[in-house]
Amino acid sequence: MLFVKNRDDFQLPRQVKRSSQWGMSLLAASIFSAAAWLIQGLVSGDHAVAGKALVAEENRQAPDDPASGDSSPGFSPEDLAFYRERIEPILVKNCNECHGAGSKFRGGFSLAAREHLLKGGESGPGVLLDKPDESMLIDVINYRTYEMPPSGKLPADQIASITEWVKRGAPMPPPAVPVAMPVHEGPPQVNETTKAHWAFRPVTDPRPPVSQLDRLAKNDIDRFLFAKMEAAGLEPVGPAEKRTLIRRLYYDVIGLPPSPAQVEAFVQDASPEAISKVIDDLLESPHYGEKWGRFWLDLVRYAETNSFERDNPKPNAWKYRDYVIDSFNRDKPYDQFLIEQLAGDELPQVTRDSVIATGYYRLNAWDDEPADQRQAFYDEMDDIVSTTGQVMLGMTIGCARCHDHKLDPMPQKDYYGFLAFMADLQSYAGRGDQMNSRWSQTDISSPEVIQAHAERDAAVQKLEEEMRQIEQGAILKMKGEDQRKTEGAERKKVLREKLKDFLSKEELDHYQGLKNQLEELRKRALPPREMVLSVNNCQMPPRVTPLLIRGNPATPGEPVEPRFLSVLTDDAPQLPTLTPGQKTAGRRLVLANWIASKENPLTARVMVNRIWQMHFGRGLVKSSSNFGLKGDLPTHPELLDWLTTRFIEGGFRIKPLHRLILQSYAWQMSSRPTAAQLNVDPQNDLYSHFDMRRLTAEETRDGLLAVSGELNLAVGGPSVYTAMPKEVLAGQSVPGQGWGQSSPEEQNRRSVYIHVKRSLLVPTLSSLDFPDPDGTCPIRFATTQPTQALTSLNSAFYNQQAKEFAERVRADLQINELNDESLRQCVAQALTLTTNRPPTTAEVERGFGLIQSLRDRGQVSAELALERFCLVAINLNEFLYLD
Amino acid sequence: MNQPMHNFCGRTRREFLWETGAGFSGLAMTGLLQKEGFFAKQAVGADGVTPFVNPLAPKEPHHAPKAKSVIFLFMYGGPSQVDTFDYKPKLYGLDGKTIPVKTKGRGGARNEGRVVGPKWNFQQYGQSGQWVSDLFPNLATCVDDIAFIKSMTAEAPVHGSAMLQMNSGKIQSGYPCLGSWVNYGLGTENENLPGFVVMLDHSGGPISGAKNWSSGFMPASYQATVMRSKGPAILDLVPPENMSDDVQRQLISTINEYNQEHQLSRGENSNLAARIASFELAYKMQTTAPEATDLSQETESTLKLYGMDNPQTEYFGRQCLLARRLVERGVRFIQVYAGGNHNDANWDAHGDLVKNHTLHAGRTDKPIAGLLKDLKARGLLNETLIVWGGEFGRQPVAEYKEGTGRDHNVAGFTMWCAGGGIKGGCSVGETDELGNEAVKDRFHVKHLHATILHQLGLDPNHLSFFYGGLDQKLVGVEGADPIKQIIA
Repeated sequence: MLFVKNRDDFQLPRQVKRSSQWGMSLLAASIFSAAAWLIQGLVSGDHAVAGKALVAEENRQAPDDPASGDSSPGFSPEDLAFYRERIEPILVKNCNECHGAGSKFRGGFSLAAREHLLKGGESGPGVLLDKPDESMLIDVINYRTYEMPPSGKLPADQIASITEWVKRGAPMPPPAVPVAMPVHEGPPQVNETTKAHWAFRPVTDPRPPVSQLDRLAKNDIDRFLFAKMEAAGLEPVGPAEKRTLIRRLYYDVIGLPPSPAQVEAFVQDASPEAISKVIDDLLESPHYGEKWGRFWLDLVRYAETNSFERDNPKPNAWKYRDYVIDSFNRDKPYDQFLIEQLAGDELPQVTRDSVIATGYYRLNAWDDEPADQRQAFYDEMDDIVSTTGQVMLGMTIGCARCHDHKLDPMPQKDYYGFLAFMADLQSYAGRGDQMNSRWSQTDISSPEVIQAHAERDAAVQKLEEEMRQIEQGAILKMKGEDQRKTEGAERKKVLREKLKDFLSKEELDHYQGLKNQLEELRKRALPPREMVLSVNNCQMPPRVTPLLIRGNPATPGEPVEPRFLSVLTDDAPQLPTLTPGQKTAGRRLVLANWIASKENPLTARVMVNRIWQMHFGRGLVKSSSNFGLKGDLPTHPELLDWLTTRFIEGGFRIKPLHRLILQSYAWQMSSRPTAAQLNVDPQNDLYSHFDMRRLTAEETRDGLLAVSGELNLAVGGPSVYTAMPKEVLAGQSVPGQGWGQSSPEEQNRRSVYIHVKRSLLVPTLSSLDFPDPDGTCPIRFATTQPTQALTSLNSAFYNQQAKEFAERVRADLQINELNDESLRQCVAQALTLTTNRPPTTAEVERGFGLIQSLRDRGQVSAELALERFCLVAINLNEFLYLD
Repeated sequence: MNQPMHNFCGRTRREFLWETGAGFSGLAMTGLLQKEGFFAKQAVGADGVTPFVNPLAPKEPHHAPKAKSVIFLFMYGGPSQVDTFDYKPKLYGLDGKTIPVKTKGRGGARNEGRVVGPKWNFQQYGQSGQWVSDLFPNLATCVDDIAFIKSMTAEAPVHGSAMLQMNSGKIQSGYPCLGSWVNYGLGTENENLPGFVVMLDHSGGPISGAKNWSSGFMPASYQATVMRSKGPAILDLVPPENMSDDVQRQLISTINEYNQEHQLSRGENSNLAARIASFELAYKMQTTAPEATDLSQETESTLKLYGMDNPQTEYFGRQCLLARRLVERGVRFIQVYAGGNHNDANWDAHGDLVKNHTLHAGRTDKPIAGLLKDLKARGLLNETLIVWGGEFGRQPVAEYKEGTGRDHNVAGFTMWCAGGGIKGGCSVGETDELGNEAVKDRFHVKHLHATILHQLGLDPNHLSFFYGGLDQKLVGVEGADPIKQIIA
């Protein structure tokens, strides 16, 4: 319903001034003041106490606060009378609720005393005595930057009074009762102290410590862990049973359960290398990348549509997904992986892969019809900068968009310096070409094919444009109702029926001629071409990147050149000199090389920590996307550095890191903690036992398909559409729109291949905490909800799988006739498949008892009773949780 | 900042949850959360032993609440303020005249336009003398319970992002919706029903579909459940046709037996216990939800009150009645969409204003009045906050050369609230004499959100969720205060 009537009519709407950014500073202030009580709260464990502490803190006068008494120059009685009569009433009525004595001093801005006004709030001084016209106060009451008061603009005469008052030097008597100036703690500065933060220091290569527990160690990882455990008086639990281990290993590395034969082969293999062999096999499996690629897709908020009103597809997004999976499978060095995504189009050797990798820049949600184009463009770029900062560097760079970072030593200039590396990057698309964006789709076919298509496309576009102009001319003369129709699906119909009434004979003939030409052109056969989601047609020369004052695109400040995060380096980036004809600015490659450099203290550490998190459930640094000053400290900093050094030495390859971790004692431990361990270390920060975990959404669905025998293990290719319940489709404005139908075999592909539509997530996955793909997800939730049980008991999908599972079990055992004995065998087989261990007699009898009971009540056949049991088997906690 | 933050997310906990979302030792997690009082009230599994750790367990509010539940009647598409509640007498005489006026709609910014005079007459109603147009003869009898906000503003004059803003506070995609925040802040009183329910129009969902009831970066537990007023109320609520209740009961019992045995040696992991209990809750939900949607216990006169005896009002009437029944059963947040799909299937009157608004007001006037009266008669109105409005309003001028259609307008529009501690029979804020732009006591969507949270006992400036390095809030990082003028 929102098609713009005519592109040419579309203008930039008035700047939305009260954008969501300008208040960031306030938040930061509250975080800051909160920090004090949090620390206290942590220590005392009593939030009420902490809260009181905070209040006390706020009311206390800052030490350097000049007594808020009279430091005002001697104002004349006239000036002071002017204040009392003309100004004070305005302030009392309109401003003091937020900025007067006793208020919250919103934005840190106080009008309670003249000193406060002069010093100003977080957006700077309120009044500039030397340049009164440029005062913030004058700005805001004229609704130029902020709009104050927000409830409505002051009448012109009051604005004039305040303006005059400011010009007089803002005369004001001291407050009757002294009022403390709002405290502004400045943001952390880049200095020797902040540079010494552990994560900003170079990676070290500590020697593994020695402890009494080393006798158990399988490699150096254990030595680091044992030393701390010993210091706490704990010992690790024993190793996991082999059947537990093999199940853990399969899900961990490839996200699928082992088959009974694979379990038995491992159990039977008594050689010391038994597990290493399986680890090697699994790491070489094409299914490894499907599991581990998905974790990268979580981080980069991978989705295949744009969200917002139309939520249109991002054509060829799946090629990026395949690129990620393939990169993991080939153990592509992580530095190369990053460089390709950030600057794959700027490499000396541009390859198909490296172009597809730049699809990284195209994954964000994108509004094709923003209220404010300029704001939307900066929001889009911010999404990319913020994601890149958090994912690749573990730094919340996005917090420095509107002001200096309040928690990390990162001046606002760093944000814009980072953004300036991307100054050649265009938006995702224009509204009109979003299905084939010149900025986001690259044709990687042969030059001849490209040429042929380009010629035709240009010709088609020209004809269409000319026809559209004629159409719009006629539409403007139509009735409102018909005009309206031309904005939607009925456009063709209206044009077919009514266009002729509004065109002259000449115009009509001309129009018909164009139409014929267009049809001719479209019929011409051309060889197929390959388009990929990517960066294309960069803006050259690159944009100037101004520092946006308070993050507001309407108030650009001085231009900022590309610069690295200043807390990490003083080096200026060596930017390439631009030459005519150059297609990109070459700056993204400079950024990519800096991020992916061995010397960058963050990049490798952040990734190593993520790999650890994926294996153990949480990172050595728990805030895995925040390595800044307020992020968590590593539980084992030496181990993190030691692993990072191995990672860098090994050429940024991830598979050796997996091997190291998987072969450690720590990873192979039992998941049954001792009472002492629970008592001393309830969070298991010391890794004295392995933590159980629930399977992820994908592991659950893929595991289910694997045991039911339905899983289609085909690798790669366009995404598939699973059957979507009609109740879910009913939530769309046009039910079913944008959701295709795949064949039953295709629907049984692994979950990573299911189409990710932002406004229509697959319920079986999202109810098990598949992340919302609009933002980066460093770690998933694992919620337990009754509605999950409704799905696993009642849904068509689960019941279908139960049926398939029953058939599979019978086929495995070659059972035709269902009698008491064969049913017991079926139960045993079903339990073996879901739990990866032979069931006990009691477990078999329980299952058989259910079947018998259902059958004996006479309403259910043996076949159906077995199906029902299979539904039970796929609902077991032992199936859903990993030891 | 007098109160310590009570959002279960003091820094330790919030980062803890955020960072260890998956795979954390259950004991540690629930142990900590229990100490913090987060899971103070737990449902108990059917075995009488197993505690169920529900993310939606009831939590203490920040302050004494006025309202327990919210019913948000979402007039999707954007009703015209000057044809409904914002009486602009001067506008009638200007009908058809082209005048200078700054507007901003989907067609961009314009400096002049052809006035479309209001198409309905207005009268004053109630003791408070509130203005209501002839579109709402039934609702007009309820005005003494209603507070009109005639100076609402929003940021995006296009449906997609405006819907997101009205529902999640942000014009960008990916943020939790109002109902998610409420459930996150308060939990649910009835664990056998979802805490956040959305009911859709018969013509389809609104634009962007599920984004309008998504929990964004919060766990999916906080997203809305779409409930249907006819047929099975919730997705997967009903067992397969060939599975009797008796059979299902046996299946669940067998699952429980296996799971309890499995848990014996893993006692420290309370997630296992939670999942065991979740089957019992799901089983109960299967009876609770159909009971909630079964209107057969309602009297003839109640059905009539909601207009269910008239085909025109039957559909929306059923949803309003269902909303009351859900409120009675402790559902926190219910959103009912009046209008769906595209074009004139909702309030988006670009073409023929009279036809459009006659249709949509006609479908909803009687049911909404019925809901207000019924709630009042049952003593529920004082604890149920009703919110009425669309994602924006409409312009006083025409969009096209001919016809009565109006384009979108975010510079000034009307919404209203009733019940739940709202002062009845009042009106706050004003638009200019054309009804085009809010000029007095302007309010932003975030102020409405702040008011809703406040009435529920939550402090809008303290209710936060840690994501992306920030304490995210529904009202934005800059914060917002409730609309005091309409609070009783």
